[in-house]
Amino acid sequence: MKAINSIKGTGKLEWFLAALIAITLLNTFLGEQFASTTLVCILIAMTVTYKGLIVIDHFMELKGANKNLRFLMKCYFVIFPSLIIVSAFY
Amino acid sequence: MKTPPINTSLGIFPKSWSEESAGRIPGNIPIWVGILSELTEFALFFVAYFIAKFYYPDIFSQGPQHLHTSLGVANTVVLLTSSYFMAKAMSFIRINNRIKCERYLWLAFSCGCIYLIIKTWEFHWNTLQGFSANTNEFFTVYYYMTFNHFIHVGWASCAILWVIFRLRRGAYSAQDSSGLEALAVYWHMIDLMWILIFPLVYVLR
Repeated sequence: MKAINSIKGTGKLEWFLAALIAITLLNTFLGEQFASTTLVCILIAMTVTYKGLIVIDHFMELKGANKNLRFLMKCYFVIFPSLIIVSAFY
Repeated sequence: MKTPPINTSLGIFPKSWSEESAGRIPGNIPIWVGILSELTEFALFFVAYFIAKFYYPDIFSQGPQHLHTSLGVANTVVLLTSSYFMAKAMSFIRINNRIKCERYLWLAFSCGCIYLIIKTWEFHWNTLQGFSANTNEFFTVYYYMTFNHFIHVGWASCAILWVIFRLRRGAYSAQDSSGLEALAVYWHMIDLMWILIFPLVYVLR
């Protein structure tokens, strides 16, 4: 029953896909139109983290699954986007 | 004589990592060993990128301007869509709808093929522009990262074909879909790596 409900509620997945594509286009627009200022780098890093978390929680289905694996995956998408921000100060 | 229970944890993780203590593991333990290994490999590439960018900021600032950004965007959209198809395939096997599950697996496989075609075209386009892995430090890192990712998409696409073959033989059902789920989480991992690679080589100037 739970699985059937999840199929009926897959509108969520479509919304997440639309959000991911929209964020990708926004990132590209920022990169193309503006020099990589610190603000642009922070925006891009935040959107990368957000995209990663959506895929981890909703496509990979780690939300509500093994908390250690979820923690590791989330750490990955905090550490490397943070390095993007750090690299803005080079 | 009693047969001992099969040890599915491989005995390499602490007890606190067990499914009883930490929650369900999507797929199976071996695929997560593979995924964590791959994440470590890509982490080394990302660290190399940031170190190289620190030493050659001008080259890394100009590098993305020489790339075909539209092809990078197209590949990002294709991979995100493939992840969506894979998630749909998982949701349909959970209600024992093998036909729709297979349909979405074929769609995910098609996305993998489209990605490979676009990437091959991009490599060819780079060559026509006179760029190669030896052009400068940016292109060395670019080729290391993207070609490595290309190979991952290639073999994961082959894995989709194998899973479709197994699905047709009735190997997966709502009760036992761990093999299919293992492929799904691996595929999502590949998508995740591209989510990081894309801004590093195409967007950040």
